[in-house]
Amino acid sequence: MAKPLQINPLKLSQPMGALLAFLGIKNCMPLMHGAQGCASFSKVFFTRHFNDPISVQTTAVNDITAVVDGGDYSIGEAIKNITAKVTPDLVGLFTTGLTETKGDDIKGASLLLKEKQRIVYVHTPDFEGGLESGWQKSTTNIIDQLIVPQKEINSKKLLLLPNVNLTPIEVEKIKETIALFGLEVFALPDLSESLDGHLGEKQGALSSGGIEVSTIEALGDCGAVFTIGRSMESCGLKFLEKQPKAQHFHFDGISGLIDSDSFYGTLLKYTEMKTPPPSIVRWRKRLQDALLDTHFLIGSSTIIIADEGDKTYSITRAINEAGANVKYAILPTRNELGEKIGSEHTLIGDFEDVETHLEECEILISNFHGERIAHKHHKGIMLRGFPNFEAVGNTMKNDVLYEGSCYLLFELANLIRESREVH
Amino acid sequence: MVNRKLIKDLLDESACSHNKEKKSGCDKPKPGATNGGCAFEGSQISLFPYADAVHLVHAPATCQGASWETRATPTSYKGENNTPLGYCTDVTTNDVIFGGNKKLEESIEYIVAHKNPKAIFVYETCVTAMIGDDMDNICKRMQKKHNLPIVVVHAPGFVGSKNLGSRLGGEAVLEQLIGTREPESIHPYGINLIGEYNVTGDMWQYTPILEKIGIKVVSTLAGDGRIEDIQTAHRAKLNVIVCAKSLITLCRKMEEKYNIPHVSVSFYGKRDTTNAIMSIVNAFGDTALTKRAKKIIAEEEAKLDKALGPYRKFFDHKKAILNTGGNKSWSIASALQDIGIEVVATSIRKATLEDIEIAKEYVPILMKVPANEQAKLIDEHNVDILLAGGRSLYTAIKKKVAFVDVNQEKKVSYGAYGGLVNLAKDVANAVHNPVFKIVGTQAPWEDEGKEKINIINTNNSKYTLWYNDAYF
Repeated sequence: MAKPLQINPLKLSQPMGALLAFLGIKNCMPLMHGAQGCASFSKVFFTRHFNDPISVQTTAVNDITAVVDGGDYSIGEAIKNITAKVTPDLVGLFTTGLTETKGDDIKGASLLLKEKQRIVYVHTPDFEGGLESGWQKSTTNIIDQLIVPQKEINSKKLLLLPNVNLTPIEVEKIKETIALFGLEVFALPDLSESLDGHLGEKQGALSSGGIEVSTIEALGDCGAVFTIGRSMESCGLKFLEKQPKAQHFHFDGISGLIDSDSFYGTLLKYTEMKTPPPSIVRWRKRLQDALLDTHFLIGSSTIIIADEGDKTYSITRAINEAGANVKYAILPTRNELGEKIGSEHTLIGDFEDVETHLEECEILISNFHGERIAHKHHKGIMLRGFPNFEAVGNTMKNDVLYEGSCYLLFELANLIRESREVH
Repeated sequence: MVNRKLIKDLLDESACSHNKEKKSGCDKPKPGATNGGCAFEGSQISLFPYADAVHLVHAPATCQGASWETRATPTSYKGENNTPLGYCTDVTTNDVIFGGNKKLEESIEYIVAHKNPKAIFVYETCVTAMIGDDMDNICKRMQKKHNLPIVVVHAPGFVGSKNLGSRLGGEAVLEQLIGTREPESIHPYGINLIGEYNVTGDMWQYTPILEKIGIKVVSTLAGDGRIEDIQTAHRAKLNVIVCAKSLITLCRKMEEKYNIPHVSVSFYGKRDTTNAIMSIVNAFGDTALTKRAKKIIAEEEAKLDKALGPYRKFFDHKKAILNTGGNKSWSIASALQDIGIEVVATSIRKATLEDIEIAKEYVPILMKVPANEQAKLIDEHNVDILLAGGRSLYTAIKKKVAFVDVNQEKKVSYGAYGGLVNLAKDVANAVHNPVFKIVGTQAPWEDEGKEKINIINTNNSKYTLWYNDAYF
């Protein structure tokens, strides 16, 4: 019999992914359509993860409105109360299990409020999908509902669609490296300017930064769209519906030498440049050296990784280049990449499954919840993914491209060495 | 099923002072202007500290996926500690369409087969309430089959606030656990601790003192609690409500049903801890017990004064402003005064009428809109320390005063006598830390005209004594 329940869930919900996506848009108020707890739990979760204030509001559906209201009342009230205090450029309206069970018409409600407030709506019940799909669905709907179609393309303008797992600093690094090729690049959503952990002037009620709504509307002339992570591939296709002349380049991952080569190879080809800027050449050489420096430790280690699909894929690709033996990859939800992840066993599971298989491995790569389990079984833990409640500095962890891969490999190798000495 | 009559009764609680005027504290949340947690979270807070029971949440991903292992409520239970674990039926589309009854039943069977809990709490949530799963029936059947208490908690998020959820959690315990077992012996000075969740081990700061006096903690709801104990709670002689007002209904009902009186106390600060112990002791009206209590309190206070000695000198003439909510508006103020800090003002935003009345006795200035008032007060009174939520950090940096985030998850206990030393240590560390001045310095490319901040006193001769744990 398959296990009927989750014990210590790895899975995070779709509305949480949606919330994060809307926080990557400047002056946005994410509005969760559900009971107040859905928003409150998610707010606390991300506040502790990012160590920064999180903007979100709730339609505060109660047991009466859950029965008699089709959504328009509580959404209308929420917009009225939000706009009484602040003036958001956008409200990101997304649903939860509760409001999808009652089947609210959020499109209709948004249309009724069109004059009052700019709204992007998206269906994200938490009884389907997970963090990655919530982020992806929101991005799809932002593209669909905001970008104005344009006739011509600007081949120097590039749209970057990062997956939810990329940290703010990773998004920034990707943007910077693309800019070195003489391109103007926009990330959607862009957490690198909102949840990167910066001290602002004051704490506002809306998202503190990110891509501007007017910038999103004008993205229709982008000549190229880059999607990073399998969860985001469909968003690239959605953009092509808006701009059929654009070229879509998809990358399942951009960590490690091979995948970074493919990323830069694509950029060279697209820009018709022969060689990349010198700093990139230098970082590639450093990564080659890092691979050799770390291969002895990493090559003798056994790893179990429990994280979102795209993150798991990307890390596994990178550490496998140094010979890691990834015995188990445990994912929260089904992912098309499942088969392609370079681990001996890949399964959909929870932390009870992690604990079951941990004994055969030396190092656990996972989030905060993995920490207690790893300590209990005297294993090394490398913290990656959501949530990261205790360790500070996670928004500046960089695992991508030549540079980030170096940091990733060194961190893992040092952990293996330390773990062998301690345990 | 959600019991609407019970919810109405809980909201109209006669023991709540605000119900004499209005029901603002328990009103329905306002769409687009709500920050608090839901009823499910409230029930989670009040019941999850039972570490010997499995807490099964019948819900889709968000409810438990985002909230497990977030509360620091330690336990001394020797078996598997279930408090930081997340059990969830993970309701999916299929269950929404065809019902989640089968999944719930199988989940309970799985837990019984693989774990060894003393009870199972099963939590109803919005989606499972909407799809109408027959949780009462399933749990009753499973309880009989496995001869194990299976308690259904009907506090789906949409019925109301965290506070209401805590009450509903208390009701579930009252209806389904309390009085279901007889103790081996009845202690003459047995008490129940109600609303004490042992956050960061707060409770352990004072329970050894109570025991030394001769008072026995029969059961708790629910800090470091055991199912077997709460089942015998009806044989205790006194209910002690600790800080939280939310479980007052439970205490009133226990008074009616089992004739157990209750007292309401706070264990924050020296004076309040002493008052708390004395009101518990006085409730028993036993002269020998009172005498013993006075002697032990005197010993503890002397020990504390000695431990606080070095800090007192340092805190002398230091002034603070406190901007926090609820009972913290006075309980932390009282604790700060006990370590020798002058509290200039405290916030009464979001405080109940009772809290405001008590706050008046402790602090001269009550701030109604602290965001607007505190900066001015810092200047006027030459304040050294701002204790507030993260939002006020900006004020502290602008005003170059030390900052202590009182709303952040605290890591050590500030409870009772021992906790005061921890509080003193944390505040002293904040006052010593140059960080609030340094992060506020102008960048080289910012306005030349603005005053440059001189960093004084960044030397490392930082009093080593702050790290001296001699008290423990």
